Amino acid sequence: MKCYYCALEGKESEAVAICIVCGMGLCLEHAIRKDVDVWEGGYPFPSRRLKAPLPRFLCGECYAALYGK
Amino acid sequence: MTISLGKRFIAEALGTFILVFFGAGAAVVTLMIAAGTNPATPFNIGIGALGGLGDWLAIGLAFGIAIAASIYALGRVSGCHINPAVTIALFAVRRFPGRDVIPYIVAQFLGAAVASLLFAWAVGPDAIAIGGLGATTPFYGIGYLQAIVIEAIGTFLLMFVIMGVAVDERAPPGFAGLLVGLAVAGIITTIGNLTGASLNPARTFGPYLGDWLLAGQSLWEFFPIYIIGPIIGAIAAAFLYDYLCCDE
Repeated sequence: MKCYYCALEGKESEAVAICIVCGMGLCLEHAIRKDVDVWEGGYPFPSRRLKAPLPRFLCGECYAALYGK
Repeated sequence: MTISLGKRFIAEALGTFILVFFGAGAAVVTLMIAAGTNPATPFNIGIGALGGLGDWLAIGLAFGIAIAASIYALGRVSGCHINPAVTIALFAVRRFPGRDVIPYIVAQFLGAAVASLLFAWAVGPDAIAIGGLGATTPFYGIGYLQAIVIEAIGTFLLMFVIMGVAVDERAPPGFAGLLVGLAVAGIITTIGNLTGASLNPARTFGPYLGDWLLAGQSLWEFFPIYIIGPIIGAIAAAFLYDYLCCDE
């Protein structure tokens, strides 16, 4: 798979990640890594945060849509 | 990382406060409406005068809705046991750490006590004189041992539902608060007129303490009913559920 953004710029580069929202192929330069805290549990047990956050890869547009940046 | 014990303590106290203020409060208000005013006024509308299961259903639903609201609001914070019998039963089946049991129970008793005292202050002397702050005692014809058994059976059903809809990981998510609240409403409708349907030592402790401090009325002789019965019932339900539903 090729990077969609690079293809738009007339370049060709291998994708190293896929946006978890839209499925876009992304090269290292265009991939945005967003570490997300994950909580598990709930009634009747207190929820707890997993020790390590889960990595999630997003493209620039989905990142902007989700986080307003 | 778990939420700190201090925050969970506050959540348990707050949840039990909501349970007692609105649940036991509904019992008080029902009795006050039934008693009416003296001399009579247009506010004597007669609700509650008929007695019967309708009043108990209303009281049960007040408890149930308060419980459901607490579970959905605070369940992720502390687990929202709001009941020492539930906390002890979860500990008994090794689902809850022993070091947290005493703090949880203290929080539950504290929340219940504050709820009853605040309710008495907010509503006034009739809340104690007529409503007894919603204290639970065995009704006429129900002996001490019978009351313990009834409370045990009622709490057995409550804990069995909690195990089935919340503890069991196979349970569909999102329904626990609603179903536990409805279960409590149903149990109260049936056994309310037998023992008051406490199902919860903290729920009985709050009104007992309030009545004792504010009116000098001591009901403590009945308190063991509402400790022994609920704890036995909850533990039995937790063990039985594990036996029935978990393959070796």
